[in-house]
Amino acid sequence: MKNSLTFPNGLTRRSMLAGLAAGTALSALPRRAHAQDVTLRWWSPQGAPAQAEAYKFQIAAFEALNPGIKVVFETTSDEGYAPQLAAAFASGEVPDLVTHLPSFSVQTYYSNGLIEPFDDVINAIGADDYYPGANDVFKTADGKYCGTGIGNTAANMLWLRRDLMEAAGVAAAPKTWDELRAACQAMQKDGIFGAPLPYGQNSMTSLIFIGFIHGAGGQVFTPDLQVAIDSEQTRAALEFYKSMRELCPPGATNYSWGESLTAFVSGATATGIYAGRVLANVVAQNPGIADHVTCTTYPTISADVAPWTFNDFPSVFIPAQSKNKDAAKAFAAFLFDPEGYIKQLHAAPGHVLPVLKSINENPAYQDNDIIKKYPAEVDLMSGAAAGGFNLGYESSAHASNDRAGEVIASNAIADLVQRVVLNGDDVNAALGDCAKAIDAIMKA
Amino acid sequence: MPAPIQSPLERRYARLGLLLIAPTVLIFCAVIIYPLVSAIYLSLFRVFTPTLESSWVGLSNYRELLASGVFWKALWNTLIWTAGTLTLQIVLGIGMALVLHQNIWFRSLARSLILFPYFISTVVAVLVWKWVFNDLYGILNHLLMRGGIIDMPIDYLGSMPNAMISVILVGAWKYFPFVVIAVLARLQTIPEPLYEAARIDGAGPIARFFDVTLPQLRDVLVVIIMLRAIWDFKEFDLIWLLTGGGPSSSTETLPIVVYRQAFALNQMGMAAAWAVSMMAILLVFMIVYIRRTREKETA
Repeated sequence: MKNSLTFPNGLTRRSMLAGLAAGTALSALPRRAHAQDVTLRWWSPQGAPAQAEAYKFQIAAFEALNPGIKVVFETTSDEGYAPQLAAAFASGEVPDLVTHLPSFSVQTYYSNGLIEPFDDVINAIGADDYYPGANDVFKTADGKYCGTGIGNTAANMLWLRRDLMEAAGVAAAPKTWDELRAACQAMQKDGIFGAPLPYGQNSMTSLIFIGFIHGAGGQVFTPDLQVAIDSEQTRAALEFYKSMRELCPPGATNYSWGESLTAFVSGATATGIYAGRVLANVVAQNPGIADHVTCTTYPTISADVAPWTFNDFPSVFIPAQSKNKDAAKAFAAFLFDPEGYIKQLHAAPGHVLPVLKSINENPAYQDNDIIKKYPAEVDLMSGAAAGGFNLGYESSAHASNDRAGEVIASNAIADLVQRVVLNGDDVNAALGDCAKAIDAIMKA
Repeated sequence: MPAPIQSPLERRYARLGLLLIAPTVLIFCAVIIYPLVSAIYLSLFRVFTPTLESSWVGLSNYRELLASGVFWKALWNTLIWTAGTLTLQIVLGIGMALVLHQNIWFRSLARSLILFPYFISTVVAVLVWKWVFNDLYGILNHLLMRGGIIDMPIDYLGSMPNAMISVILVGAWKYFPFVVIAVLARLQTIPEPLYEAARIDGAGPIARFFDVTLPQLRDVLVVIIMLRAIWDFKEFDLIWLLTGGGPSSSTETLPIVVYRQAFALNQMGMAAAWAVSMMAILLVFMIVYIRRTREKETA
């Protein structure tokens, strides 16, 4: 008979041993803050039920190893974290650890002295275990790291339904905008719309449209961070985005991430634009289409322009005002403990992709129904995300943009889209106003 | 003329009076004067919200604010929203109060249920209405399409003028019970002989409403309109949650701009300047309200 040693809180022996190993690895960190009755507040915008379950496991494992430390998880949102954190920083009532925020926001906070350097946590996790360059996006002007990636995300993949493509006579996945529009036109029938592109006054519209600017061969900033959005490439992107409006549901004028995801998963649109969460949601919520779903990198204006994948580089960082920095650092490093980290990644398989080589190679990580069912899609997203960029890091030639978070939060780019696409405003005037607004933020 | 000499007893009473009024004055200063002065003081600085680092800019925030088209557009949106939703609240409120004043079945239950929208949390109400308005799964579009009234779903929250109309309608639905409560209370105190006299004079139901009911409601309506106008003017959560101020700032009211300035653009000083400007506009409402209540007291 096989003995299985279990602990009172339901942890397995394996997880306890893994936790002990992680605890040993953390010995390089400052000793925990003689942590009696310490409560760590952990914020994240990624709080889907399955993820919350994985967090619970990680918290329980950490608390078991560190008596006297309690971790409380609090959900924020992709649209709401900026105001919430601004208020938290201003009041001094900050969380002790924040995860899954885009890297450009972390850089903004660090440049204002609001974040603790993260180098010792990266060393505790194992700097050599990261994929090459995985932490470059977190490198700051003073040579330190302001955070680390808790995963990679390929956020603007083009999701397709092979059954609808076949029925509409679309032979291959579109590679250019013209092909995409033609495919959406062919598939838009019987109550199904072509695409769920966002046209709302929110960050998703800004972030996705930045991908279209790059898809036209343009950029928002020059490598030395001069505003460069007022360009012919942006005009081309606006023209295409406007032409897609009639292929999107009427309510796309108010879409953000949740609505866009639901539109594709529910079968209301023939294509989707989202990260890997689509896979788990389709399997769980609309299994009838699960065998027909696939993805590719989002098309560009022509074959001459390479796809530009938006990776928000979901992060982990510690606010400088945290009163429990040592405990927070220990917990931050513990989040990468294989058993808990894999559980966390499996909570949204293909959505948050591992940043550690050892995890990707770990059989336990590969042993997941979704990852096994969609190996090509997960591989494609992993590759695309690894070569991905965002507004804080538009290309490898660009300087780190620590104002990117404010540019996104200002909705200047979403407003540009709304003015041109929905209001039919003059493109030159709208683009000029947008460039001015961004310039003002950069110079403020 | 020399001042009258106070006796020791009078002086003691005067001191006692000051002592008794002191707690009220202190609380008033703490909860009204201090925040007010703080906001005005803050509006004279450029303040980065997360760090609260600041630099003196004097009246530059106000100059920038008044020179930008955003202020006037937001003010215009606020006035449209306030006027639209307030009108509907009053019409619906009076209508419903008249119905509930009649001897109808389940009157008590109906009077309780009518308060439901007012008591429900704004977040919950907005979630429900967002589902009602949803383009793909919303009951409203579904019924209209099934009834053959429309071929394609209507975009209620993402296009103009639909977004402003939708916000006004939801606002009216949420807040009209307040009008119902106040009007119903007044209706119950209107003397019945007034109606009997009107009937004897040959007045029909409509004439009785305009000649008896409405004049009797006048005082309470003035107070309701003043209060609701002030509350609607500074409404934030309902509009923010429904449209976020979009599409393209078309439903962006002054409180939304204050929030955006403070926490999205991290310009707390500028946000304070917006808030102070808003307060100045609200002051007009307050003066009218105070004058009206004074007139009532002296009447």
